Amino acid sequence: MAFTMRAVKVPPNSASLEEARHRVFDFFKQACRSIPTVMEIYNLDDVVTPSQLRSTIAKEIRKNQNVTNPKVIDMLLFKGTEELNNIVEHAKQRHHVIGQYVIGQEGLVHELGSKDQGSSDFLKKFYTSNYF
Amino acid sequence: MAFLARALRQSNSRLSSRCPAVAASCRWISPTAAAGSPEAGAAVAPADPELPPPREPVGGARVELPPNPEDALEVFVDGHAVRIPKGFTVLQACEVAGVDIPRFCYHSRLSIAGNCRMCLVEVEKSPKPVASCAMPALPGMKIKTNTPVAKKAREGVMEFLLMNHPLDCPICDQGGECDLQDQSMAFGADRGRFTEMKRSVVDKNLGPLVKTVMTRCIQCTRCVRFATEVAGVQDLGMLGRGSGEEIGTYVEKLMTSELSGNVIDICPVGALTSKPFAFKARNWELKGTETIDVTDAVGSNIRVDSRGPEVMRIVPRINEDINEEWISDKTRFCYDGLKRQRLNDPMIRGPDGRFKAVTWRDALAVVAEVLHQVKPEEITGVAGKLSDAESMMALKDFVNRMGSDKVLCEGNGPNPPADLRSNYLMNTGIAGLEKADVFLLVGTQPRVEAAMVNARIRKTVGATQAKVGYIGPPADLNYDHEHLGTGPETLVEIAEGRHPFCSVLQSAKNPVIIAGAGLFEREDQDALFSTIETVAKKFNVTRPDWNGLNVLLLHAAQAAALDLGLVANPAESIKSAKFLYLMGADDISLDKLPEDAFVVYQGHHGDKAVYRANVILPSSAFSEKEGTYENTEGCTQWTIPAVPTVGDARDDWKIIRALSEVAGAQLPYDSLSAVRDRISTVAPNLIHVDEKEPCTISAEVKPPVKQQVSSTPFKTVIENFYMTDAITRASKIMAQCSATLLKK
Repeated sequence: MAFTMRAVKVPPNSASLEEARHRVFDFFKQACRSIPTVMEIYNLDDVVTPSQLRSTIAKEIRKNQNVTNPKVIDMLLFKGTEELNNIVEHAKQRHHVIGQYVIGQEGLVHELGSKDQGSSDFLKKFYTSNYF
Repeated sequence: MAFLARALRQSNSRLSSRCPAVAASCRWISPTAAAGSPEAGAAVAPADPELPPPREPVGGARVELPPNPEDALEVFVDGHAVRIPKGFTVLQACEVAGVDIPRFCYHSRLSIAGNCRMCLVEVEKSPKPVASCAMPALPGMKIKTNTPVAKKAREGVMEFLLMNHPLDCPICDQGGECDLQDQSMAFGADRGRFTEMKRSVVDKNLGPLVKTVMTRCIQCTRCVRFATEVAGVQDLGMLGRGSGEEIGTYVEKLMTSELSGNVIDICPVGALTSKPFAFKARNWELKGTETIDVTDAVGSNIRVDSRGPEVMRIVPRINEDINEEWISDKTRFCYDGLKRQRLNDPMIRGPDGRFKAVTWRDALAVVAEVLHQVKPEEITGVAGKLSDAESMMALKDFVNRMGSDKVLCEGNGPNPPADLRSNYLMNTGIAGLEKADVFLLVGTQPRVEAAMVNARIRKTVGATQAKVGYIGPPADLNYDHEHLGTGPETLVEIAEGRHPFCSVLQSAKNPVIIAGAGLFEREDQDALFSTIETVAKKFNVTRPDWNGLNVLLLHAAQAAALDLGLVANPAESIKSAKFLYLMGADDISLDKLPEDAFVVYQGHHGDKAVYRANVILPSSAFSEKEGTYENTEGCTQWTIPAVPTVGDARDDWKIIRALSEVAGAQLPYDSLSAVRDRISTVAPNLIHVDEKEPCTISAEVKPPVKQQVSSTPFKTVIENFYMTDAITRASKIMAQCSATLLKK
């Protein structure tokens, strides 16, 4: 863990939303620049293209597009930087990267919901879990 | 979330008594909470500025003074005057004054021994400190609980107790909930003077439930008194004298009582602990969930202690109306059955006869498809003995919507008396049994059918010398009783006034008849119950002010099933069924079931019925769901989920609700509260939780019975006390108990 701690420096808080926004773009650029290295470390050439990875990064960032509090943005940026460092420093293994960024969270099974069409909300929830 | 609201409501009602329970429990281990200088207690004048303010009774208890003022007296505790009823001990007077006296041997439900000497207090004009638990309070007594004399006495007692007590708290299962530990912290000296060897005592083998470490015993004799007075077995006793004194069974013998687990709770030290729980967990890691027990129809109040997803132990909660503070061994030790033999995935039996795990979507689709291939009248639903009211309501609604009225609950017999609530409930209530002076047990063995009811009868017999007459197969009841006969002819003799026991019934003020639910299964049950009613009428058992005609039910689901109207005839329904929906029903006979019938088993354990099932739908056990249960006296109670469900299991009512939608007959409720709303239109008493809905007596409206009483003697209903349902049959501890403790 120590090397990550060294690598991730906590910058001072962003003074304004504008500054935070600027930092997000910086982070995105930094992540995009590291894509070739990542592809090489994890041997990703046959499973994904750089542009797909770029759009995955953009998607991850856009998940939080409704956040307007600069402090929260700073925190999210910190987490993102940490994650990026872990990837670049080879702290992860190939299947981590593939699982999280190539295949995505839903996994290989894509439920298209055609079977559940027309069934009630109750039944849809029932199929997923006992607790609702 | 409804259970949260309920817990809140309960705690509110508890807090509404003026003393918060929290404050009381804080006081328990802190002798200085009473504070004030030692001299403060000596001052009698209430105006003394040194005197601490008067306190509320311990635990927020209410003290009822007798209506006649001459039967009350006044004593002074630490300078405050308190009024108490005559006959209270000094210790009880102190409790009324809000002073909790440390004690080991004294227990409010047992006789007084007065041998631990921990409760010593100073009484003015008495030359020595007195043992407050054994000393009756006298008018004008000036009791001081916090003087240097009392403190020094406690310290001395503590030193003597610890002299021979091993210092093994770190490996002791009682650690953290030990009276000796708490009280030595609060009242003991801060150093010891003892340098010799400690005494050691050989451990006794009390069976598979109670672990003994007899060196830790402080000879308070609570367990001996519990065994003789409450459990009614003379197994435990005191051997030897002086420093050689030890508790034990006189000869090498196991403790054979259905209440033996309670000695674990009353033991103030770690001498008697739970054998299955030994070294499994520490009490501070456990999460307690206040729920109820479903292994019999009593609905004992319990606390399920869990760690993560695992139930670690079950201990009793106090409910004066139902189980006081005891529970039966089956209730206490059945919990390991919750971890074995569990069904965790929906499964379909393939053509090769083996089960294959499938998704819920596929399982429900298969069931719905079969459901549409059979005729409506060939659909039968059977609720099991552990079913909650919500799922039974859903099952009944579902089967009815599919066009069938064949929905029943196992154990209720061919023609259950479901028309009037008073015909299938314990009308006196369990606590009401204490008012009775004559008992007539008809075809019921309360000791195995409902151990807590039996304890109540035993308490009454012990306290008031009530007479007990018993009709049924030879049974081992643990109180004085008269075995009147084995079959219904004895009952007829009593009804016709030809039996010698009639004179006993005649002279009784509050006679009680208890009929077992085993009678429901008999062919001649209508005739039997009408004979019982004749007896009741003849001996004034049912009067406007006293209804002593009781039915003792067997299963947790029975009362609610009868309330909700799950009353189809099992023999006919099973014989004609092509689609059988078993909701946890394992004990119903499937011999008559047609070969080509499709059986769906919804339940939490892979028990008997699974062998015949075509589809298995896993559901949650009582420790994992919120459910309404009605006990044998008609008191509605809720279970509270303590642990998460196993695997892919779902709550019972949700499964039926989901299936109804897949089958195209959607039930109109989506949430637990909506199900309960539906229940309230059928049986409103099931909504009034923790209340006993009284039922009116109207025996007159019954049509005359033409049936003849048969001469077949009554049968033993429960062969094995320890294994009666899916959970207890899966339990290893219960299997050990039935192997070692059952009389062969």
